[in-house]
Amino acid sequence: MTLRLHLDAPRLTPRAEALRADVRAFVAEERAAGRLPPPEKIGMGFSPETSKRIGARGWIGLTWPKTYGGGERSALERYVMNEELLAASVPVGAHWAADRQSGPVMLKFGGEDLKTHFLPRIAAGECYFCIGMSEPGSGSDLASLRTRADKVAGGWRINGRKIWTTNAHRAHYTIALVRTSQIEGARHAGLSQLIVDLKSPGLTITPIISMAGEHDFNEVLYEDVFVPDERMIGPEGNGWNQVSAELAYERSGPERWLSSFRLIAELIAVLGTDARESSLEALGGLIAQLLSLRQLSLSVAGMIEAGVSPNVEAAIVKDLGTKFEQESVRVVRDIVAAEKLLDEGKAPKLRALLAHAEQWAPAFTIRGGTNEILRGVIARGIGLR
Amino acid sequence: MSDGMLTEPVERILADTVTPAVIEAAERRELPAQVLATLDENGVFDLLVPEAAGGVGATMAEAVAVMRAFGAAAAPGPLLETMLGRALLAEAGLEPGRGPLALAFANDPGALWRVPWGGLVERIVVVGDAGVGVAVRAEAHVTAGAGPCGEPRDDIVSSRPVALHPIGPGAFERAALLRSGQIMGAIGWVFERSADYANERQQFGKEIGKFQAVQQMLAVLADNYLAGSGITEAAAEAGEARLIAAARSRLGEASDRAIEVGHQVHGALGFSREYALNYRTRRLMSWRDEYGGVGFWRARLARMFAGLSREAVWPAVSGVSG
Repeated sequence: MTLRLHLDAPRLTPRAEALRADVRAFVAEERAAGRLPPPEKIGMGFSPETSKRIGARGWIGLTWPKTYGGGERSALERYVMNEELLAASVPVGAHWAADRQSGPVMLKFGGEDLKTHFLPRIAAGECYFCIGMSEPGSGSDLASLRTRADKVAGGWRINGRKIWTTNAHRAHYTIALVRTSQIEGARHAGLSQLIVDLKSPGLTITPIISMAGEHDFNEVLYEDVFVPDERMIGPEGNGWNQVSAELAYERSGPERWLSSFRLIAELIAVLGTDARESSLEALGGLIAQLLSLRQLSLSVAGMIEAGVSPNVEAAIVKDLGTKFEQESVRVVRDIVAAEKLLDEGKAPKLRALLAHAEQWAPAFTIRGGTNEILRGVIARGIGLR
Repeated sequence: MSDGMLTEPVERILADTVTPAVIEAAERRELPAQVLATLDENGVFDLLVPEAAGGVGATMAEAVAVMRAFGAAAAPGPLLETMLGRALLAEAGLEPGRGPLALAFANDPGALWRVPWGGLVERIVVVGDAGVGVAVRAEAHVTAGAGPCGEPRDDIVSSRPVALHPIGPGAFERAALLRSGQIMGAIGWVFERSADYANERQQFGKEIGKFQAVQQMLAVLADNYLAGSGITEAAAEAGEARLIAAARSRLGEASDRAIEVGHQVHGALGFSREYALNYRTRRLMSWRDEYGGVGFWRARLARMFAGLSREAVWPAVSGVSG
């Protein structure tokens, strides 16, 4: 039986719209103070100072309980805040992973001590996390990972290697998914999540330079790295369930369809009002996709708020959103060529932005789970086995 | 009123009256008399006529939900045209009357092209810049034609001038939005039927839905169905020109994917006239181009953004200015 796909369009409350106005006022301040990156690059900037200012407003951990420094606001309000910050290219990269998934996974599965120790500092914008899942031999097939933690007195000793770890060189902690026990024929069992201090003895971080020439990724080598017992999230062996929940948080947010927004906005600003009909049609196609993705993303936030676990719908947002991000780079390139927007040294910012976006575009449909894997998730969700 | 309160009775009527024989007859230029009469008896064509004028006074969102049921059933006939035509006549203070209507938008109300069912109804509601009027078929020259859907799309040239009476703006957008409902319904049917078929049809000793290549195609169709229906429902709820243009643009792409994937999954079977897939896919081929094609709506949407400064683009996307 096929799943009936259906999403309800949530209404944004006056409280959510008031938060939007507050975020826009913050963005205007940041812009006036020259703290927004110039429109020459896409991607999420990393700025501890910005993260602290956002934390001071109470906007990190917006949905978490106040006991842990959170704001006890709704998932829809968090959605509104994030789309405003991302659309303005506010550099939110420092606290992004902790706010989106490390904090929530601790909140859902972690013990009281863990929560009181980490969450208030994350919410203050002072404590940054990175995601320790992928390994050299384990990408899409995450359960095949080989980094292991052996039980020792008072804790665990980790050996192995994690890769593509964004921000490992400038975050404070990573959550490593490791094998803590081997159960014959049950490869999803025996995995656990450990919070590792990135300054631990035995831990070596090596830069990986991306094809765009930037240092975001790293390899993280573990050689007898000790982690105390109390830094395990949830019970031993529950890691697979926990990362599955975590990956759903990763999929449906506005960061999955706004990566190329800056490029589209720059194109619109440069294009003006007398473009060819064919260019307008191409641009309108992009805007239509943008509006429809926003609607989907908003609906998924509404489902999260209603306590529904929208795994299939979240995978759909990421599949569509990242393909859109890629396609938009191609369409902008076509319009730029047809309208001769870059001839004779015109529009240098658009030129720089397009060149940067082109080099990043191949990553959009890979990071956070390839689209082929996502489509497998969708296929299972709609009843294909 | 919830969507279900209106759509469930309509779905029952359609299940009883829309048979393959009725669809085939409609494609031979026969009005589906029983479908039209039963829907009319149940007030479906008066949904958008205000209560003060003797109608139901339903919202566009409710009407779009009904159109979705029409689309899923591949229901033939001038359904949208009669429903909206009556509402427009009532708005102009004209008598909507009984019986089916055709609907045409034209700069020159004397020459109407590719009008759905135009040659088979008594009255054609004509919307021009100056308002709405009625062209009488008996006083016009009809050239019969058909779209890929097989239903009549006729050229109508009136021998008498059509008097136009003023109405408010947005008639064309309402027609486009109602067509969206039918498109969404047909895509939903194609998606669900194709996924079910992939779970039934066996090749190489297993269901074809177990092959990754087939799963990936159907996932893309699921993506398109959800994206198209999400933006359409938002447009129906808000009635904003921006969202209507986005819905029609997005549904155009989703229609293309539904036709492509629906047929590819069904293989040769889907290409047979007897199998019901073609009743939906051929209607999508017509509907995606009617009341503004994909290119028209894309360009119109782009014009709403053209000339904005960098900082003004996001407020226009979010629909919240300032």
